Amino acid sequence: MDQRKEKQIEQNRNKNRSFHANRFDHAYSRIGDLTYEYNADTGLAYASPVRGVWNIVHIATLVPEGHQIFVCPTSCLRGVVLTTAEMGAMDKLSTITVGEDNILEGDMEEMLYAGTERIIRELPRKPRMIMIFTSCIHHFMAVNYHRVYKLLQDKYPEIDFVDCYMDPIMRRTAPVVPSLWRQLHRALKPVDGLNLKQVNLIGNCFPHKKESCDLTALLYNNGINIVELNSCRTYDEFQTESESCCNFIFHNHGIKAAKDMEIRLKQKWYKLRPGYSYEEYDQDLMEISRMLGISPPSIRELEELKSRVEDKVEETRRLFNGLPVSIDYTAVDHPLELALYLIRHGFRVESVYVDVFTERQEIFESLKEKNPDLKIYQTSGWNMRQMDRHRKEKILCIGQKAAYFNDSNHFVNVIENEGMYGYRGILTLMEAMVQAYKEEKPMKELVQIKGWGCNCI
Amino acid sequence: MSDYQTHVFTCTYTADVSGVCSAMYELGGMTILHDPSGCNSTYSTHDEPRWYEEKSLMFISGLDEMTAVFGDDQVLIDDVVHAAGDLNPGFITLCGGAMPHIIAFDYKGVAHLIEQETGLPVIPVPTDGLKSYISGVGKALTAWIKRFANREERGEGLSVNLLGVTPLDFSINGNVESMRREFEEAGIPVNCCAAMGEDFESLSHIYKGTVNVVVSSAGRRPARYMERMAGIPRVEGIPMGRNMSHKLMDAVRTAYEEHRNVILYEENEDHDRWTVPQGQILIIGEEIFAQTLAAAINTLEPEKRYGLTAYALWPDVDEGFPERELIQAMRQAGIVIADPLYKVVLREKDRTVFVPFPHEAYSGRIYRKEIPLFAGSEFKPEILFQHVNMNK
Repeated sequence: MDQRKEKQIEQNRNKNRSFHANRFDHAYSRIGDLTYEYNADTGLAYASPVRGVWNIVHIATLVPEGHQIFVCPTSCLRGVVLTTAEMGAMDKLSTITVGEDNILEGDMEEMLYAGTERIIRELPRKPRMIMIFTSCIHHFMAVNYHRVYKLLQDKYPEIDFVDCYMDPIMRRTAPVVPSLWRQLHRALKPVDGLNLKQVNLIGNCFPHKKESCDLTALLYNNGINIVELNSCRTYDEFQTESESCCNFIFHNHGIKAAKDMEIRLKQKWYKLRPGYSYEEYDQDLMEISRMLGISPPSIRELEELKSRVEDKVEETRRLFNGLPVSIDYTAVDHPLELALYLIRHGFRVESVYVDVFTERQEIFESLKEKNPDLKIYQTSGWNMRQMDRHRKEKILCIGQKAAYFNDSNHFVNVIENEGMYGYRGILTLMEAMVQAYKEEKPMKELVQIKGWGCNCI
Repeated sequence: MSDYQTHVFTCTYTADVSGVCSAMYELGGMTILHDPSGCNSTYSTHDEPRWYEEKSLMFISGLDEMTAVFGDDQVLIDDVVHAAGDLNPGFITLCGGAMPHIIAFDYKGVAHLIEQETGLPVIPVPTDGLKSYISGVGKALTAWIKRFANREERGEGLSVNLLGVTPLDFSINGNVESMRREFEEAGIPVNCCAAMGEDFESLSHIYKGTVNVVVSSAGRRPARYMERMAGIPRVEGIPMGRNMSHKLMDAVRTAYEEHRNVILYEENEDHDRWTVPQGQILIIGEEIFAQTLAAAINTLEPEKRYGLTAYALWPDVDEGFPERELIQAMRQAGIVIADPLYKVVLREKDRTVFVPFPHEAYSGRIYRKEIPLFAGSEFKPEILFQHVNMNK
């Protein structure tokens, strides 16, 4: 290749680097060198072997007596079908494959209608709810699927048909998981008079137990009944969510559902802050007590909890004795805030694995100031594929991705906070960290299990 | 009319995009799946057993709504150029799913532009996410051979290329090594195995092989291409069990000496009607595997196969299979040999005996540890019937 050509190629490479100013030329970047606008969801994406995070199939399988129909090209179906097969739940999913002839002839509506009818006819039991997932291609082909659902609903009034979406092409404006949580709750119908002694926790893959969640403890102590989709055994039980007076959300992806239910079912909602601020916990619990008209936790009770947490954190810090810690975004919703909390308590946090900053800017700035050398890894970046994962020094990881990329068997194996919130949440997390410190786990096997902890398995 | 599209109970075969990645995995390149999301994690989770241990470069482009609407291919070009600058692959493969297909993405043109900017060879493989892996593997291997193999080379004496070899059909449990060994022990050198256990350099000498052995239907496309370009004859079949292995070696020698194509088995002409004679043995799987296994069983003494005859059915590359007809065929069969995920369609009252034979391209990693070593003389087809109780 001549010199002129080589120079041109080098110039092109440099030009293109400028388009990706927020990407790394290596596997990580110092937080001190980053801006709050950092977002790794640009450019080519790498999929690590870590598969614990639930996908839409896992979530939809939570609906008791429900059935999913995915209408997609073969390449999209393969993933959802095998997710279901691995759960041993193939009786809860059917598929309709989009073919070349459907694209050319524009008969997607007819195919959808005929396919769904056949599925209903041939299933051994009629499902109570059918979730029909259309895909990217349907948006671009302007398929009138709502017309099809109306016809189906008229013909089978005993089944609730819900339009769901597996359309990652829309992920920047309408990500699939928040959309799914909203759609699942569309099957709930308005009732006369809400039950002031019942609330819903929505948007959660894992149940919130009173031992590890301050909200559940508060509600339990005040005799408030809690309904969570992940714990419902029957469709009728799930339907009772429409009677609840209030919806509580822990994760951002539940907000769409809460807003929708406020409009349709007249249910109030409140988003808790599952970070690591004592002040926010207290505010959340006080506000919720006010909303429900129940006794708030006493100052003494809160102080006692705070004291227990501080003792436990200090005990853990002493045990770790300078051991490096790594955190990832799949384990907790607020990885930066957890890093800041641990650093302030004397832990040696070495790295955070996160693809986009969704926490408040002040958290980011405080962390940047406190520890500018903190390593930030983007888990989907192409350079992660070539990263040397092996390390000699022991490291304690919080989350599967941190464990995989640090090649560590000492890790806290949790997804999406796993029901931890508040003081009790921190106590549970600290206990899990101590366990992870003391005992190794078979990381390679565990992280490759799809939808970790999915109770449908 | 048959309904190929609605599957009430059954699973989906690996798609063409995963087939491309699988074929390119060991050749030192970087493969780009042009699609919104999901194809890469599906591939790396269910279709690629080498993902955890071997660092091959496979990425998804993350096509989004606005980029698709505006047809802004420059986004992809910039991303690939930047990644290639960091990772320095030997070459780049560009394939994609359904969305690029419906927006008429120009694979060839974009490959040319990336090549101009990086100085690296880029091979376009215009998949559409609508077909099975057979199409993807075949297209990818053909494109690779077309671009990189040394077409001027010719081998002397008999040697074979094994075509269509990926973990999707042969897993990573020793089938490929066993297949190679079988030829070597018969005195027939294996020139290339496309594409497992080879690297870029070794596979570039593929034209030195004097007979192509198509061991999966994914290998037909490159075999036909090489036949057209260099007159290399092909043989279709797998060395599966002693009898079929001997037959295959004879067929390879015949192909070499008489310079003609040979198929190891009699093809099931009723395949298109999705029927097999009632009460017999039905094998479901990849075409060449299923037909070879049927032939291997039929070479057994009748008492070892309950006096039954084996027939093969396999999914269509474009359409898959019509579930209703397939279920009917399964329920009427005496014995069904198929991936365990097919068993779900049999009812209590069906008298069919089901023999599980896992296939990575169907059930992915679920039954990987139970995939038998079926290539080589050591395989005994009769062991498939050792737990069969025909008095059920």
